[in-house]
Amino acid sequence: MIAKLISNMHFLTAMVLFLIGFHTMLTHSNLIKKVMGMNIMETGIFLFFISVGYVRGGSSPIAVPGAEGYINPLPSALILTGIVVSVSLTAFALALIVKLYNYYGTVDADKIMQLRGGEE
Amino acid sequence: MQSVVLQTVIKLLLPFIQVYGLYIIFHGHISPGGGFAGGAVMAASFVLFAMSYGVGEGFKRLPRLIAQWLESLGGLIYIALGLTGILRGAAFLTNVPEWLGQAGQLFSAGLIPLLTTAIGLKVCSTIVTLLYHLLEEGHYDSQTD
Amino acid sequence: MNHLPVLLVALYLAAALGLPLLGRNKKFPAGLFAVGVAGCGLILAAASAWHVAGTGTYSYFPGGHQAPLGIEITIDWVTVFLHLTINLLAVLVLIYSTADLSRELGGGRAKTWYYSLFFLLLAALNGIVMAFDLFNIFVFTEIGTIAACALVAIRPKRLCVEAAFKYLVLSALGSGMVLLGIGLLYMVTGYLNIGAMAQALPKAFAMYPWNVLVALSLFVIGLGTKAALFPLHVWLPDAHSSAPTPSSAALSGLVIKVYAVAMARIIFQAYGAELFSRIPVPDVILVFSTAGIFAGSVLAIGQTDIKRMLAYSSVAQIGYIFLGFALVTMNGIVGGILHIFCHAVMKSLLFLAAGAIIFKTGIRKIEDLAGMGYRMPLTMAAFSIGALSMVGIPGFSGFISKYYLAFGALAADRPVYVAVILLSSLLNAVYFFPIVVRAFFGHKEKQMTWDRLPWAMTVPMVVLAALTVILGILPGGLVRIAELAAGAWLN
Repeated sequence: MIAKLISNMHFLTAMVLFLIGFHTMLTHSNLIKKVMGMNIMETGIFLFFISVGYVRGGSSPIAVPGAEGYINPLPSALILTGIVVSVSLTAFALALIVKLYNYYGTVDADKIMQLRGGEE
Repeated sequence: MQSVVLQTVIKLLLPFIQVYGLYIIFHGHISPGGGFAGGAVMAASFVLFAMSYGVGEGFKRLPRLIAQWLESLGGLIYIALGLTGILRGAAFLTNVPEWLGQAGQLFSAGLIPLLTTAIGLKVCSTIVTLLYHLLEEGHYDSQTD
Repeated sequence: MNHLPVLLVALYLAAALGLPLLGRNKKFPAGLFAVGVAGCGLILAAASAWHVAGTGTYSYFPGGHQAPLGIEITIDWVTVFLHLTINLLAVLVLIYSTADLSRELGGGRAKTWYYSLFFLLLAALNGIVMAFDLFNIFVFTEIGTIAACALVAIRPKRLCVEAAFKYLVLSALGSGMVLLGIGLLYMVTGYLNIGAMAQALPKAFAMYPWNVLVALSLFVIGLGTKAALFPLHVWLPDAHSSAPTPSSAALSGLVIKVYAVAMARIIFQAYGAELFSRIPVPDVILVFSTAGIFAGSVLAIGQTDIKRMLAYSSVAQIGYIFLGFALVTMNGIVGGILHIFCHAVMKSLLFLAAGAIIFKTGIRKIEDLAGMGYRMPLTMAAFSIGALSMVGIPGFSGFISKYYLAFGALAADRPVYVAVILLSSLLNAVYFFPIVVRAFFGHKEKQMTWDRLPWAMTVPMVVLAALTVILGILPGGLVRIAELAAGAWLN
C-alpha cells in the first residue's frame, strides 16, 4: 500500500495541490490570495496531466539514435497551452485587482462588500 | 528601485537572454521549446530592463506602440500562414510538403518555424505590453464613477 | 472539403487582432467595420449551412492530419444551427452597439477595444460549437471566458469590475475542473478526440470506473458553472446586469448556451447513450434545472432593476435548455436546441429594449416604467413581444420550444416536468406582465410623446421582434434543423 502510494506520489501531490488551491480560492477573502489559489490549483492540474504522459526511464520525445522509450509529448504540449491560459487568466485577474484597489483602496473582498453596503 | 549593481548586471545579461530567447524560438521545430517558451524568455529581457531602469527607459527601448503592432501582427501572420494551406487547396494550416526538408536540420519542417516565429513575436510583445500596463498603472488617475 | 466554418473563426480572430491597429486612426469607423465583419460572418455561416444542407455533414481536419492523431472539427447540424444563431445575433447586437456604446463607454478608444473583444468572443463561441476534441473545447472555452469577462469589465464602473472579478474567479474554478476532467479521461482512454473516446470509454469504464465517473462530474460542474446551471449561477446576475447592454444581450443570449452545448456534446457524444444509461447524470441535471427554473423565476420577481430581473430570468431559461437535454428523448432535445435559438432571440430583444429605455430616459427601476408605452411605443411594443414569447403564449417562438419540451417530457414518461413547464410559465407571467401592463395602462394622462431612437437601435429590435413572431407562426424550417441536430446526438 505504502509502496504503491510512493510510486504514485506525483498523482497524490497533484490532488493535494489541487485541493489546496481550490480551498484557498474559495475561502480567502483577500483577492490576491484568491489569484494565488487559482495558480496553485492549476499547477496541481498541470502536474497531474504531465504525470499521465510520463514514462519511467523514457527520454525526451526527440528522435535521437539510441533512445529506448519516449515520454508521451502530447500532455506536455497540451499543458503548454494550459499554462498560456493560466497566465492570461492571472494577468487579467491582476489587472482587475489593480482597478478594484483604485476604486476601494483595499484588496479584501469582505471590506469591499462593507464599503459597498450603503451604495446600492 | 534604481541600483547600480542591478543595472550593471542586467546590462551584461541582456544580450545573452535575448540570444537564448531567439535560439529557443528558431529551434522550436527540432528541440524542446518554441514560440511560447522563447517569446517568454525574450519578454523577460525587456521586463528586467524596464524594472531595473524604470518604465520610462523601457518605453524608449521597446515603445508601446511597436509592442502593440507586433502583438497584432504576430497573430495575423499566424492566420495568414494558416490560410496559405487553403490557398494551396488543402486544409487550414496544412504544411508545405516540399519544404519539409530533413528532420533535425534548422531549415526544415516547412511552415512550422515560421509559425513559431509568429508565436514568439506575439508572446513576447504580449507579455511586455501586459507588464507595461501593470507597472504603469500607478501613474494613471483612477477613473471613478 | 469545405473551408467555410474555419474561415469563420479565422475571420473573427483576424478582425479582433486587426482592430487595435486600424483603430489607431482616429477617423476609423470601427462600428461600421465591426458590422461589416459580422455581416461577412453571417454570410459565411449561411453558406456553410447551405453547403451542409446540400451535401450532408462532414469532418474537417486542420493541418491535414486525420483523427485521432490530428485535430478534428465537426460540421454537424448542431454546429450549423449554433453558427447561424451566433452570427445572426452578432450582427444585430453589433448594429445596436454602434449607437449605444458612446453612452456606455464614453468616447476614446474603448470602443475599438470593445469590438476587438467582441470578435474574440465570437471566434471562441464559433470554435466551441465545432470543436470535436476535448482540448479544443477547453481552449476555446478559455478564450471565450476571458473575452466575456473583459466585456463586462470594460465599463469604467466599479460594479462592473467587481462583477467581472467574480465571474472570472468562478469561471477559472470551472475551467480548472474541466481540465482535470480531460486529464482523467485522457489517462484511461489515451484519446482526446470525442469520436475515438466514445469507442474507448466503455472498456475504460469497466476497468477504471472512478476515473470516468469523476471526470463526468467534473465536466458537469465545470461547464455548469460557466453555463450558470442553477446552484452555480451566482455570478450571472451581477455580470449580466452591470455589463454594457450589447454585452448583456450577447452574454445572456449566446455565451451561457454555448457552454451548455459543449457539455451536452461531451455527455452525448463522448460518453454515449450506453454509458449514461448506467449513470444517473440526466436525473441529477433534471433536478438542478428544475430547481433553476423555479429559483430563477422567483428571484426575478423580487428584482427592482430591469436588467437584473432579465439576468435572473436567464438563470431560469438556461434551466429549460438543460431540462430538454436531460430528458434524453427526441422531442426534449429538439425543444432544448430550439430554446437556444428562441431564448437567444427573445432575451436579446428584451435586453436591447431595456437598454434603449435606459439610453433614452436613464430609467432602470421597474416601478418607474409606468406610461413608458406612451413615451417609447416601438420599444415597449418590442419588449412586450419578447415578454409574451418568454411566457410562452402561442403564436410566439417561446411557445414552440416549450411545446417540444412538454412533448419530450411526456415521451420520457415524466409528466411531472410538463407541470414544471406550465407552472414556470405562470411564474414568468408574474414578473413580465406587470411591466407591460404598467407601461401601457399604468399612466393617467394618455398623451403620446414619442421619444425617437437612433435607427441603429430600432432596426435590431424590430428584426428580433419580427423573428420572434414569424418563428412562432412558421417554425417549420427551424424545427427541421433542430430535429436533425438532435438526431446526431441521440443515435
